Amino acid sequence: MGGALRVWFRSKHTLFWTFAFPILLMLLFGAIFSVSDDPRFDLYVQNQDIIGGESSPFSATFVDMLNGSGVLNIKMVDPAENTAEYIDEKGVEMMLLIPDGFHQSCITQNATVVLKTVPPEVDTSAATVRGVVEQIVEVFNTVTTGENPPQVVTVQQESLVSENYRFIDFFVPGLIGMTLMTTGIFGAIGWNTRNRELGILKKLATTPLSKFEWIIGVVLFELVMCAVSTVVILTVGVLVFNLRVLPNIYSIILIAAGAITFPGIGMVIARFVKETDSADAAANAVSFPMMFLSGSFFPLEMMPPFLREIAKVLPLTYLNNGLRDSMVYGNASSALYNTAILLVVGIIFIIIGSLITNWRED
Amino acid sequence: MSKEAVIQVDSLVKKYGDLAAVNGVSFTVNRGEVFSFVGPNGAGKTTTVEILVCLRDLTSGNAKVLGFDVSDRKGQQQIRKRVGVLPQDFNTFDLLTVKENLSYYKKMYDGGMDIDELIRLVDLEDKAKTLYKNLSGGLKKRLAIAIALVNDPEVIFLDEPTTGLDPKARRDVWDLIEGLQEQEKTIFLTTHYMDEAEVLSDRVVIISYGKIIADGTPSELILQHGGKTTLIVEEGGTEAHDILRKKFPDSKLENGDVLVPLNGKSDLPEAVMTLNGNKTKFAELIVRRPSLEDVFLNLTGKKIVDGELS
Repeated sequence: MGGALRVWFRSKHTLFWTFAFPILLMLLFGAIFSVSDDPRFDLYVQNQDIIGGESSPFSATFVDMLNGSGVLNIKMVDPAENTAEYIDEKGVEMMLLIPDGFHQSCITQNATVVLKTVPPEVDTSAATVRGVVEQIVEVFNTVTTGENPPQVVTVQQESLVSENYRFIDFFVPGLIGMTLMTTGIFGAIGWNTRNRELGILKKLATTPLSKFEWIIGVVLFELVMCAVSTVVILTVGVLVFNLRVLPNIYSIILIAAGAITFPGIGMVIARFVKETDSADAAANAVSFPMMFLSGSFFPLEMMPPFLREIAKVLPLTYLNNGLRDSMVYGNASSALYNTAILLVVGIIFIIIGSLITNWRED
Repeated sequence: MSKEAVIQVDSLVKKYGDLAAVNGVSFTVNRGEVFSFVGPNGAGKTTTVEILVCLRDLTSGNAKVLGFDVSDRKGQQQIRKRVGVLPQDFNTFDLLTVKENLSYYKKMYDGGMDIDELIRLVDLEDKAKTLYKNLSGGLKKRLAIAIALVNDPEVIFLDEPTTGLDPKARRDVWDLIEGLQEQEKTIFLTTHYMDEAEVLSDRVVIISYGKIIADGTPSELILQHGGKTTLIVEEGGTEAHDILRKKFPDSKLENGDVLVPLNGKSDLPEAVMTLNGNKTKFAELIVRRPSLEDVFLNLTGKKIVDGELS
């Protein structure tokens, strides 16, 4: 053990990561789970109770209360819009409908508002919003009818997605995203460090092979690895858990983009860490935080604002969002948007990697 | 052998900060030669090779391989296509077979040698489908040399190809190198084994502390710096030493053996007769010709043991 301790102590890289890593994790989880005073969920609201070109009094009051909750980011939808089409087009995840005749129904004390989200049992965000809306309804009931209010307004829950999804279906896209990232980054770094140690990189540097060709080779290889991993996850999901979310063509393109981006990032990291130990440590240090901070497991809305800002610069965030949007919500435009971002990031990293990868000894 | 210079090095210097690993080295290598760079570890051999195969930048001076300048981007591209390199401590993919490894490297080039022929050339035919990790050290080296030949290069650089091999494997590699020479390939060899340089080379350059201390064919160098042929009287002891010292004052006693430097043709018979005449006891008489080791010893006062100066 003494010998092992000495070796550990003298490897500066390993030393740094051994200490930095737990500290990083603590800060990370601490930040994620810190009580957030400021979650902000996007809620689309369509008020269909229009009298003479203006919102009815009760519906207007209700909307005001929604706006004043401090937790919901209300986006008003024009009453003339076709609800179903709007949801599809804009990729809406949560919508509240105030139906025509709401004002009247309030007077007769049998009003409803329709909340369209994915089932709250399987999605934390939906559950939270449901809770908030229920609270607002409580307050509304009190305000309009005084103490011991009868149930003037009730919340009717409708599912936003046609399939009957369970927790596993929401979990898998994040899992696929995480797997693509780790496969890509660890794979690319592994190739570089192992082959450098073997002397293979040095030998290749004496051949006409260009650095660009080498990087593309690694990226393509990791692309295949990512495809295999994804297929495994989906197969197990379907066979064992009766998984219902499945990728469509947009998701597949997105997965391919992710499978190019992360090896690219890995190759750039590999440029700076040469020994196996420090390479692993660096790969971990990049992957773990990204895994948690980009919404693979915890919805971003639950995290403090500054972490949400960080998530915006993490490539995995875009992959996760795109996968969730396309696989669960069937939202093609979101998938394409995120694909484009990933491709741009990936290409930039590959180009940077080609320029800075150093096969020469100096 | 034609006298076309395939490698030309002029006042080559490589510095790391203030430390000069290569300190003003100049030499030429001609087509078809086996050319050795000999010297102890750290003398600057590998650094020089790395500069010639475009792995490292030089600090000053210039070097040309096959007419192309090593400092010029386009020149480097041309050099890489035409040379074969076996770096020091090279290992290739453990989990690929001999044949698969060769195919892999061949893909880096346009054209090159036929893989099966190459396998035959290095005598690895019955191991063609063996995984690299299952080869012995000597066979691994043979494969490594084959890999360096995969593009049918004009010049091959072998950086310490027999270091770490057992004697039989070493001879194996020597045979291989001699075979290559018959194919008119130019071979640039670095080694810290003097005997290897002597046996294999057409020309030798001895390098120490970054400078060239000798340059010529083995015979030339031995003639100039090798010193004399020596008669070794094994286990002659002080008795033989005292007797021989009278006629041969330069005689030395070393570990019980008497070493007598022989100056002319008549010295040997005279020494033997002296020993016989006095009925001196000894184990055996050996006549030892000077070698490159003697050359190195005479030039530097040191020997190279296991690559290190002592």
